[in-house]
Amino acid sequence: MKAARTAYPIRWRVMDALEAVAGILWPRFFRAGTPYLMLAPAILLVGLLVLGLWQMADASFRTLDTNTFLLSEDYSLANYKRAVTESLFITVAGRSLVGSIIVTVLTLVISFPYAYVMVRTPSATLRKFLLIALFLPFFIGQVVRAYGWLIILGNQGMVNEAFGLIGIAPMRLLYNYPAVLFGLVQYMMPFAVLMLAPALTAIPEEIEAAAGSLGADWVRTFRHVVLPMARPGFVGAGLVVLTLSLTDFAIPAMLGGGSQDFIANAIYDQFFRTSDQGLGATLALLLVAVGSLLVGLVFTLFGAGTLAMGRVKA
Amino acid sequence: MSGNRGKTIVLWIFVIFGLVMLSAPTLVVLGASFTSGNIITFPPDGFSLKWYAKIAGASDLRGAFLRSLVVASICTVIAVPAGTLAGIALSKYAVRMEKTIQVYLLLPFTIPLIGSGIGLMLVLGNAGMLGQLWPVGLACCVINLPFMIWAVTASASGLDPDLELAAANLGAPPLQTFLHVTLPAVTPGIITGALLMFILALNEFLVSLLLVDARIVTLPVQIYNSIRSIITPDLAAISVVFIACAAAAIFLLDRLVGLDIFLKSK
Repeated sequence: MKAARTAYPIRWRVMDALEAVAGILWPRFFRAGTPYLMLAPAILLVGLLVLGLWQMADASFRTLDTNTFLLSEDYSLANYKRAVTESLFITVAGRSLVGSIIVTVLTLVISFPYAYVMVRTPSATLRKFLLIALFLPFFIGQVVRAYGWLIILGNQGMVNEAFGLIGIAPMRLLYNYPAVLFGLVQYMMPFAVLMLAPALTAIPEEIEAAAGSLGADWVRTFRHVVLPMARPGFVGAGLVVLTLSLTDFAIPAMLGGGSQDFIANAIYDQFFRTSDQGLGATLALLLVAVGSLLVGLVFTLFGAGTLAMGRVKA
Repeated sequence: MSGNRGKTIVLWIFVIFGLVMLSAPTLVVLGASFTSGNIITFPPDGFSLKWYAKIAGASDLRGAFLRSLVVASICTVIAVPAGTLAGIALSKYAVRMEKTIQVYLLLPFTIPLIGSGIGLMLVLGNAGMLGQLWPVGLACCVINLPFMIWAVTASASGLDPDLELAAANLGAPPLQTFLHVTLPAVTPGIITGALLMFILALNEFLVSLLLVDARIVTLPVQIYNSIRSIITPDLAAISVVFIACAAAAIFLLDRLVGLDIFLKSK
């Protein structure tokens, strides 16, 4: 008996039992459905979002009754009309759109050299240092980072104190448009570098050397070889930075001090200040539509690039 | 070669600018947390640990931090199985309507955070589930799920399908093949994804802000609410908790899978 037990260890028995249970729960002829069963939990989780969009759509067609502070029972397009005609929302939308385009350009300009040096440097130590410097703010979160900028740029902040030491009068560096844009560029840089780096890794170093030996200086090599070949990275990075900065909440709220609201802040105010859920839902849906349109446009023009999650196509 | 020197100089000007911009807030928060003064000044007033003693005694901050840990754990516990299975299914099988499913699973990423947050707030609110912590964890899981799936698909694409066939050929039933061949192959992806999910949920601000009430604020929301008034060093000290968590996550990531995987081309 003893010999038999060692010959067939307990672990095997457990595995056999598990296989039998799996066989009963999911018989052989279901085999073709296995991938769908594996996808089901993720699809259900994302289903919550779709349900949320549906409920937002429902709320967006109901107007707020200012007497009872309840949403109306009947549907109308009044919220949509308000959203596209009221000057407050047009100003906020314009500010967000212009801001996110400026942020995207600046972020790509600063991130490309960073990603390039990180990928190309022969020193493993330097590469690790650059990676850690990139991941640390990425993992710290927006609130703490914005808090750091408040300490640095505030009226009694480090920069103004330093100005005082050399005799420059303190300036108001916070709560204006450039401060918000600056904060957004800092917030977006890790995203951009992480999307650019794989695209740069894919460019063989020999191609740059070849361009050099054919007489191109480094500026021309960059312009005609590296930048065009890194296009998938620029598409991915640009798309992520554009949509994330267009829809950001924390940075405009904390570094803009209420005077530099982006769309997300206006939506938040509709829900939590004016309590007009209908109009808030309308604005949020319009933002979702603009965001999806941007993503869809870029995907159809350039493909999903570094954002794809499927099988590697042979 | 002078041409190469020019290239190095120009690149390094950008890199140093980027480094300063990336690191300045972190370093300043770290420095400010050790001040001995009652307000944050520059140059600092001297070195002390009194603000750490103060936050260690503040039960509201401790509670908020614990709640953030609970939210991050719930998020990770849901995301790891759901994201791993979905990632393996997408990278291994020829799924019908693959494109549609991919676009669908990318929704949390393409829908703006404020839109997802408001939608989830309406859904969870109408279901009467707000005011608890687990819906916040669930919401953080939903909005960050693509990160988990990406991490898994990235390592699953490195798995040779012949290995699984070989295991089956040697007599391993499907579950054993999955547990002993498929799962170990994607483990680096699972670790990366789990760490990302945990740290992103720990830091998640906007969705927390929308889903919590005054009784269950998470730490980022607590910090945000306290910032409005005067800037005192106790907030810097509590922020250092986040810096420590981020450093720990990076250390683990580097040790377990290596940071270099983020540089690999797909």
